[in-house]
Amino acid sequence: MSKNKNLKNDSEVKERANPQEEIVHLYDRRTFLKLAGFTFAGAMVAGCQQGNIEKAIPYLVKPEEITPGLAYWYTSVCNGCNANCGVLVKNRDGRPIKLEGNPAHPISKGGLCAVGQAMVLSLYDSKRLLNPVVQGKETDWQTFDASLKSKIEEVKRNNGSVRFLTSTVTSPTINASIHTFLSQFKDSKHIVYDPLSNSAILDSHKKSFGLRTLPKYYFDKAEVILSIDADFLATWISPVEFSNAYRSARKLNGEHSEFSYHVQFESRLSLTGSNADKRIAVSPNDYKNILLELTDELEKIAGVKNISNAFQPIIESNFKRKLINRLWKSKGRSLVVCGVNDIQLQILVNYLNSLLGNYGTTIDISAPSNQLKGSDEDLAELQNEVQTGKVAALFIYGLNPAYDIPDAKNFSGKLKELPLVVTFADRINETAEVSGFVCPEPHMLESWNDSEPSNGIVSIQQPAINPFGQVRPLIECLVSWSGKNQNAVDIIKETWRNSYFKLQTKEKDFQKFWDSALQNGYIEYSHAKKITSGFSKSSLNFIKNDSTLSESELKLVLYPKLAILDGKHAHNPWLQELPDPITKIVWDNYASVSHLAAEKLNLSEGDIVSIQTAKGSIELPVHIQPGQNEKTIAVALGYGRKGTDRFTNIGPNWLEARPTVEKGSLVGKNAFHLLEFENENVKFSGIDAKITKLRGKYLLASTQEHHSLQEPKNVDVLNGQARPIVQKLTLEEYLKAPHTQNLRKAEHPSLWPEEHKYTGYHWGMSIDLSACTGCSACVIACTAENNIPVVGKDEVYRNRELTWIRIDRYYDEETGELSISHQPMMCHHCDNAPCETVCPVLATVHSEEGLNQQVYNRCVGTRYCSNNCPYKVRRFNWFDYEQEDEMQKLVLNPDVTVRERGVMEKCSFCIQRIQEAKIKAKIDGTVLKDGNIKPACQQSCPAQAITFGDINDNESMISKQIKDSRYYRVLDELGVKPSVGYLKYVKNSSEEEKVNG
Amino acid sequence: MADNYSILRKPLILGNKTYSDVTHDVCAPFEKKSSIAWWITFFAALSMLIVGIVAVTYQIQTGIGTWGLNNTVGWAFDITNFVFWIGIGHAGTLISAILFLFNQKWRTSVNRSAEAMTIFAVICAGIFPIIHMGRPWLAFWVIPYPNLRGPLWVNFRSPLVWDMFAIGTYFTISLVFWYVGLIPDLATIRDRTKSKIKKFFFRFFSLGWNGSNRTWSRYETVYMLLAGLATPLVVSVHTIVSWDFATSVIPGWHTTIFPPYFVAGAVFSGFAMVLTLMLIVRTVFHFEEYITIKHIESMCKIIIATGGMVGLAYATEFFIALYSGNPYEKFAFINRALGPFAWAYWIMVFCNIVIPQFFWWKKIRTNMILVFILSIFINVGMWFERFVIITISLSRDYLPASWANYIPTSVEIATLIGSFGLFFTLFLLFARFLPMISIGEIKGVLNYGKNSHGGSK
Repeated sequence: MSKNKNLKNDSEVKERANPQEEIVHLYDRRTFLKLAGFTFAGAMVAGCQQGNIEKAIPYLVKPEEITPGLAYWYTSVCNGCNANCGVLVKNRDGRPIKLEGNPAHPISKGGLCAVGQAMVLSLYDSKRLLNPVVQGKETDWQTFDASLKSKIEEVKRNNGSVRFLTSTVTSPTINASIHTFLSQFKDSKHIVYDPLSNSAILDSHKKSFGLRTLPKYYFDKAEVILSIDADFLATWISPVEFSNAYRSARKLNGEHSEFSYHVQFESRLSLTGSNADKRIAVSPNDYKNILLELTDELEKIAGVKNISNAFQPIIESNFKRKLINRLWKSKGRSLVVCGVNDIQLQILVNYLNSLLGNYGTTIDISAPSNQLKGSDEDLAELQNEVQTGKVAALFIYGLNPAYDIPDAKNFSGKLKELPLVVTFADRINETAEVSGFVCPEPHMLESWNDSEPSNGIVSIQQPAINPFGQVRPLIECLVSWSGKNQNAVDIIKETWRNSYFKLQTKEKDFQKFWDSALQNGYIEYSHAKKITSGFSKSSLNFIKNDSTLSESELKLVLYPKLAILDGKHAHNPWLQELPDPITKIVWDNYASVSHLAAEKLNLSEGDIVSIQTAKGSIELPVHIQPGQNEKTIAVALGYGRKGTDRFTNIGPNWLEARPTVEKGSLVGKNAFHLLEFENENVKFSGIDAKITKLRGKYLLASTQEHHSLQEPKNVDVLNGQARPIVQKLTLEEYLKAPHTQNLRKAEHPSLWPEEHKYTGYHWGMSIDLSACTGCSACVIACTAENNIPVVGKDEVYRNRELTWIRIDRYYDEETGELSISHQPMMCHHCDNAPCETVCPVLATVHSEEGLNQQVYNRCVGTRYCSNNCPYKVRRFNWFDYEQEDEMQKLVLNPDVTVRERGVMEKCSFCIQRIQEAKIKAKIDGTVLKDGNIKPACQQSCPAQAITFGDINDNESMISKQIKDSRYYRVLDELGVKPSVGYLKYVKNSSEEEKVNG
Repeated sequence: MADNYSILRKPLILGNKTYSDVTHDVCAPFEKKSSIAWWITFFAALSMLIVGIVAVTYQIQTGIGTWGLNNTVGWAFDITNFVFWIGIGHAGTLISAILFLFNQKWRTSVNRSAEAMTIFAVICAGIFPIIHMGRPWLAFWVIPYPNLRGPLWVNFRSPLVWDMFAIGTYFTISLVFWYVGLIPDLATIRDRTKSKIKKFFFRFFSLGWNGSNRTWSRYETVYMLLAGLATPLVVSVHTIVSWDFATSVIPGWHTTIFPPYFVAGAVFSGFAMVLTLMLIVRTVFHFEEYITIKHIESMCKIIIATGGMVGLAYATEFFIALYSGNPYEKFAFINRALGPFAWAYWIMVFCNIVIPQFFWWKKIRTNMILVFILSIFINVGMWFERFVIITISLSRDYLPASWANYIPTSVEIATLIGSFGLFFTLFLLFARFLPMISIGEIKGVLNYGKNSHGGSK
């Protein structure tokens, strides 16, 4: 104490000559040791903290409906494409993190495609446009509105022509708003064009039935489906809806099986074609011939003769007879669809359908679809007007005409010269770049909207997050330019009050009506118009005799790819990295050619070629595609989008890393400029083309290196059988013995003591290969649910993709025909898991419920488990995978750990969902019911191919499927006892026909 | 001179050496200044080691992704190197322990270096299981130790845990065995050196050796016991390493023949490496009279024998694969011979089956340059054997959709170079600071093959 006194006198201390000496006196030995001890201990405690702890401020006033940690679900509608599937938005702590199909929604019935699943990522795209732009400068709405209004006044004064160019708008409110907005101008027109145009279908119905309408197709009612190049399971009109319907017409129920017969004529191998019972690869030139040939045969049976066009019979006669028989037998229960944008073909298809009596049964034009309304003719007219300088003001919404229309370059050049161009866009895209005014268009998850994808079904799109920046929906913009100020939701409500509310009688109070619509996500009202006119034979006059069937060597087919579509989603890395369901290639488009053509042209995979058409040329790497017609080159649209060079360095950055996108180039190449008009329609298929080989090679990254279940020819010296990994049956075989008990071989007696008792639940999964179309919705669903990072093209090329579920696609020759199978593959949660025994640190362990669990924290990363996995479904974190866009971290699911580098991961059967359901059941004091738990993959599957449940529950779907005669397990003979099984693929093939025909 | 030798037995040590000659000759390399040749080789080895250190540092910093591995091929260069180096070590133990127990007197000239080689090879091997982990900083988790994580134990069913025990035991026993054998020689150096530091150092490590009858007798007992302990390790270590593969379900790995096959292969490769090293040592350090043609020939003969076993194992494996009726197994083997990695398979067959056959000819066995070249071939062949087993089997297993190619990256190649760098650096340091030939034991066999006139002068 006495020594401490010295301290008190500050001045004294300062005056000391030797302060060091004083310090020695300040502390005696014990105090020093004590202090030193505290200091070191303190430093150690401080050192134990990992990084800075940032202060988290809890809600001062908690929003009424949000409990942190609980998910809230909102109904909405997807606008990833025009199909407008109903969705449920999962919201956690104020941010949407997942989209799921709304099971009640009449369009999608619970499924949601890959694009829909990925839409949530686009919300957090930091490259989105968030402020209005005037003449290339970001500004605020006041300035924007003021200068735009003065421009509009000018146009009005000069009586200038106003054109409103949109893609198909399914929203009744937007349509009405545009209509109202345009009505203030003397010369105005709303022009609708779809980049993936199917205008010919509508045009043909105008000719055949006097109604320019897109019919509604009912694949569920069709017993025989004849598709001419319509990729209805992947990209055509409404794939989720069609997949669901298609699947429900192919039910295997023992003797009560109803299984449609699907024939596909197509030039490239499409996903739909890969599912067909009979697929014939033909040149795009032959479509007309085929339709004429079939029409001729059917006319013979029907005893009419309305068509006299010449054709060359090219369909193999035996098959043709059987097909005609089937079609005729299923009169009124068959369906002919055609995905070619050619009016002559479409009229022929209409005629075939009317001959077969399908109108009113499998095809409905009385309550038609609104999913596509575009008119190629209108676009051509507009292009003409723009060219001649007639247009004074052009508004562009939902379309990117500087990129995705024929002659886009020319058009975009002209846009700059127009007095007023207003574009609604989510980013500065090709069109926005040349527009004077750009309105930032909100994402579907941050704005109100509505949609009527098919007459009688109306859904509400409700926001699930406060809008980012200053985005403002189109309807608000239009109202504000008319001098009013109204919220989108009020405008929509007004529309509804004046229309749909009046169409019903059940609800007297509008608010209640609105609330229930919001809760369900949709309303239905009966709409059917009376169709009086039948098929007008005069429309057949449009079918011309082709003077010279041009035997030109090669035909170019431009097609949309499942995930990218028209390029709208090119900025979404999930979709860019989704393996194409057929080629399994990621991050690129390419020129697909057949083996024969490649041989003839001396091309091999990855060679760079130049494709020349009348409209221009394109340089692309070659992909050799089995099942493709030899005279066809297929190129995907939607690539080469502006700004996709942002992905150059996506993925890990290390010594030997190759960039995902070459410096100075974009993801893929734009092929829209090769489109041309023919007979007033935009021609996508059958464009005359030449191909020249250029120097150089290009790496195409594919998730699959080997494509056949047969051993490679040079190794297969003993002529081995194809591996029984995908097992197939013909319908005939199935029907013969549908009830024989499961043919699975009895299990070998095991020396291994029964280790796991599974006294409670025992989770299992089965996948119906017959139902699975390979659409890959599950892959994105899993990516979104389980925080799976994007790894970039180079990592995929190195076979290091991280997706927990993959779809193995095999090409095999069966009796001379290419047979394609899709097999979803994920962790099999084996009861005798080979991975579990080899992990040295017990980082992968078996749960009491049969789950094979990966403990990330414990994993040291020996990869032994992955080596020992016969299914090779384990995924390793080779690097730390940083987000290309930091903001996209907001999409992460807080229920799932983000894995660090060096640890193994794999499918967990969505254990977070299992736990959530179990906890909920426990709180509610109920028991888990079968179907209460749906892993993300199962939930999203449009075809309901995946079943998950408790094997111990005898009544569960999964238990029933295990007893199904089609049930088998992959690599059963290894004795690993997987919890995932498959239902054999059933093909309605020709053997069966012999019996019937 | 010739008169001193027996007509019945060939001598083990030539040159009519006296005891003092032996001490002098063996101590010469580390008592003189290092030769330029030593410095050049040392810097070469050190440079290789530095390349490896840079590569491993980069890899640990960045991620295992800097290796060419992928979802399908989870192990390639890493575990190939590991098994290769472990195999190299085996010859040392075989020479020092088994040949000792069998009273093979000729072993005395090579056992010290062979044991040193074992230790260095095990060090090289031991690095790979650690750096091949995704999170090598947690490598200690494979060791069972009391902890606060539950307590969370290791998985005793995992062959990797067995590996950890096997390698740990092997390294410890080898090190102790080598050190015990060194004690009399350390005492010799202690007595000869003039440097104070050296004297202090060697005094400490020679544990007060005084050369008395009693010390010798105790020494020999301990040595015998350790030889007995080390003997089962020759078999067990590589057996356990082979279980990494044999207990798995992957076709090409899941093979019951692996334990004997791996042991034979290990001895085979180990002797090849001993030959490579000894031929250099004998020339560079002028030990031709200690490591004689007879030694080289004996080792060549062992290579013929073990090479034959390895060849038989290849044939058996292949035959069983075809005979088994298991299509995956069958494919795995045909794929080795005809698939995309066929070149690796045929390198292996050529180096491991064809090359040893040259040793049937005495002319080749006694031509040191040829033996040296052939021994290198075998080293290469045995590296490829492990590569073939590990990588080819993984790259094409059950589901064709997940088959994948494998291409090593520069980082992996640098790591392999680095492991050789480490091995040679350690060996050169050993040559510089310790007696490469067991002085004490050589003196014991000096009179072997001499007649009554030739005994100690």
